[in-house]
Amino acid sequence: METLHSEEMILNIGPQHPSTHGVFRLVVTIDGEQIVAADPVVGYLHRGTEKLAESLQYTQIIPYTDRLDYVAAMLNNYALVHTVEYAMDLEIPERAEYLRVIVMELNRVASHLLFVGAYLLDLGAMSPFLYVFQEREMIVQLFNEICGARLTYNYMRVGGVKWDAPPGWLAKVRDFLPHMREKLKMYDALISGNEIFLSRVRGMGVITQEEAVAYSLSGINLRSTGLRFDLRKKRPYGIYDKFAFDVVVGQNGDCFDRYWCHFLEMEQSLNIVEQALESIPDGPVLGKVPKLIRIPAGEYYTSIEGARGELGVYIVSDGKDKPYRMKLRRPSFVNLQILSKLLIGQNMANMIAILGAVDIVLGEVDA
Amino acid sequence: MFSWQTQPLTGLNFIGMVIGAVVVLAILLLVVMYLIFFLRKVVAWMQNRIGPNRVGPWGLFQSMADVLKLLLKEDIVPAKADRALFLVAPIIAFVPAFTVLAVIPYTAGHIFTAGLNIGVLFYIALSSITILGIVLGGWASNNKYSLVGGLRSAAQMISYEIPLGMSVLGVVMLAGSLNLTTIVQQQATDRFGWYIIPQIIGFVVFMIAAVAELNQTPFDLPEAESELVAGYFTEYTGFRFAFYMLTEFVYLFAISALATTLFLGGWLGPWLPSWLWFAIKTSAVIFFMFWLRATMPRLRVDKLMGFAWKVLIPVALFNILLTGLLSLLV
Amino acid sequence: MFGILKGLGVTFGQLTKKKVTLQYPEVKPVWPERFRGIHEFIPELCIVCNQCARICPTSCISLSGSRDANKKMRIDTYDINFEICILCDLCVEVCPTEAIRMTDQFELAAYSREEFYKDMHWLYDNHKEHGTYHALQEAKEQAAKEQAAKEQAAKEAGAKEQAGREPVAASEAATGGET
Repeated sequence: METLHSEEMILNIGPQHPSTHGVFRLVVTIDGEQIVAADPVVGYLHRGTEKLAESLQYTQIIPYTDRLDYVAAMLNNYALVHTVEYAMDLEIPERAEYLRVIVMELNRVASHLLFVGAYLLDLGAMSPFLYVFQEREMIVQLFNEICGARLTYNYMRVGGVKWDAPPGWLAKVRDFLPHMREKLKMYDALISGNEIFLSRVRGMGVITQEEAVAYSLSGINLRSTGLRFDLRKKRPYGIYDKFAFDVVVGQNGDCFDRYWCHFLEMEQSLNIVEQALESIPDGPVLGKVPKLIRIPAGEYYTSIEGARGELGVYIVSDGKDKPYRMKLRRPSFVNLQILSKLLIGQNMANMIAILGAVDIVLGEVDA
Repeated sequence: MFSWQTQPLTGLNFIGMVIGAVVVLAILLLVVMYLIFFLRKVVAWMQNRIGPNRVGPWGLFQSMADVLKLLLKEDIVPAKADRALFLVAPIIAFVPAFTVLAVIPYTAGHIFTAGLNIGVLFYIALSSITILGIVLGGWASNNKYSLVGGLRSAAQMISYEIPLGMSVLGVVMLAGSLNLTTIVQQQATDRFGWYIIPQIIGFVVFMIAAVAELNQTPFDLPEAESELVAGYFTEYTGFRFAFYMLTEFVYLFAISALATTLFLGGWLGPWLPSWLWFAIKTSAVIFFMFWLRATMPRLRVDKLMGFAWKVLIPVALFNILLTGLLSLLV
Repeated sequence: MFGILKGLGVTFGQLTKKKVTLQYPEVKPVWPERFRGIHEFIPELCIVCNQCARICPTSCISLSGSRDANKKMRIDTYDINFEICILCDLCVEVCPTEAIRMTDQFELAAYSREEFYKDMHWLYDNHKEHGTYHALQEAKEQAAKEQAAKEQAAKEAGAKEQAGREPVAASEAATGGET
């Protein structure tokens, strides 16, 4: 009798698949349910933001950054204007800096909330996804009031912010904080102790510290391995040195740590917002900026702690009102590299758990 | 007490049986339609949503609209599919789902019930055939997701059939009969009352195994949306898809009815008519399953097998031992 | 096991909570004042400075104008292509006369691409239907009036006070100047 013949199967996951979080394609070779090789294919959402920027004035680039990491657009806005301000050596009014911090940290909370919900949806639990959207909706409504849009904020300007907070807005944010803390407790009760959830994420997709550094991971993917690296602390930009907050780190670098870091980081962000609300001064929100923004010739790079890691903007200027070249360091794109290593030897079912925990946003991956 | 078995097979009785079956089928379809509605409403309420509310008053006709839509859809057979198997698989899956309902005693009158002496065995044996329909559907679709879904499903349902059967054994030992009608009648006179009390371990095992048998959350791996798109029925459309959905929900109803019969005293209960008691208890079991569905993430496939073989089966065996000891001693 | 029960408790607790669904086509969302919806355009105010077309990041605005009998620039055509407009609000920001503004109208779905090319007349109709320009002007006038009244009152009060005790007020003013 002939020996049984078995062969590997190539499974093409995406670009249209319910849990690749957008148009992401993953070509996996599977042996039964075991993954032998994984090959991420990106670029389905490529819009050429970097190239487009070369023919746009700096103010005009801001709306394009909204569309990179579309769940944390405030941070993208800031990454760009921060680099331009750094290059021009601008003075930013105090109130504008405080407003920026408030909206950025709120946006970080919204982004992490979405991660928690979407991750649980990937793992098969539907309710948390719908619950987190309620709190996210509140944050989005706050943004809608301050800048007139729910997702593509276009709120920051070189030298400040577009609008001052409308009357009563700060009070609304203040009211939101205790509500959010309450809800975080509820999510904790709903998710964090669930044995089924724990059995799926504990010890899954472990990244060691050396690996994380070697793959130049940043953000929670890096911190979950126990490395205390947060640009808000390491290289304080804006007014972040004025606030007291902890850098959340994990221990094992597994999927659970990544989930848990998201959870704890939300609390830290709320703390920052609270402190900012206490000490926000009055004053103008837009500094003295020339009508046509020109950056002196040279190369400039600054980075901020985005919702997903180090979000950097690199501008080469030839002294004109448009960048000669702009490069965006998108954390999702960089973090994605480790995926093909993490997936090898895993089960099909773990694939989703690991992919979800790396937390990519396709708008940012493909730019 | 009325029983079909004691009747001679005359023409009139035959017609009666056929009418009975058609009535059960009609009621069943209505029940399934509103089960889907109930599911969507309960899950929606638990997620702070309203749920279906557009078609008819309070959205009551939503399921009918959905069924109509499925019936009107084009029946697509993929070009590379195994045509004959692809067409017949949903039917193989559905027929046993309907047949098992023959043994469920809905009321004290048993007009629609075949009082089989081996009712429990009949149920478990027939419900296994559905696995065949699911595996065939997954295989015949010639789709990788379907194939993986179908195989997962086979592994899961075969594994969980064993603890399901074993958990029922305790009840059978107490009642001394495999006849579901007799089991209910025994519960009326048993000194412990309904069998959920002496058979609490058996009940828990039964419920877990039942949820797994139904491919419900947290055991919905065969149709795990986030991994396998839609599992074994990825390629199915129109009324063939409807058949799979129907199978799933008929089993949901059937297994809840079985749980009611075996553990919750079937139609027994004071004041209210017997069929209403049966409906209330079955609804409660169904609600519990929907509740699980709204809360749980999905188990992982390797943990799933481990759970069945390492936890559920030993516990079920222990329960049998305990039941035997108790009936000897007490 | 305990964690699962806790989770079940949470979901059960939601059963009776207030539902958050918005019955959309019947109940419209209430947008805040700054909401950036479809534009409104008021031709009389436009001075054809072309700033909006220049600042637009996607170049979705095209306009043309001509001089009228009084040598004033008048707008002739004004089109926004909503296929590519990203509602970024930059055109509103640069407009010196508030001829172009954003309304709270947000329903853009259409059956054909042609419908996304909104011309001056459509935008003016949108202004008449959903526009906030007049409300804004009224609010501004109201605020200016109030401000004037306040200033008037303050002046009167100040005059009264000054008439009452002039030397004290003078010394106060002097100390204020020093610090």
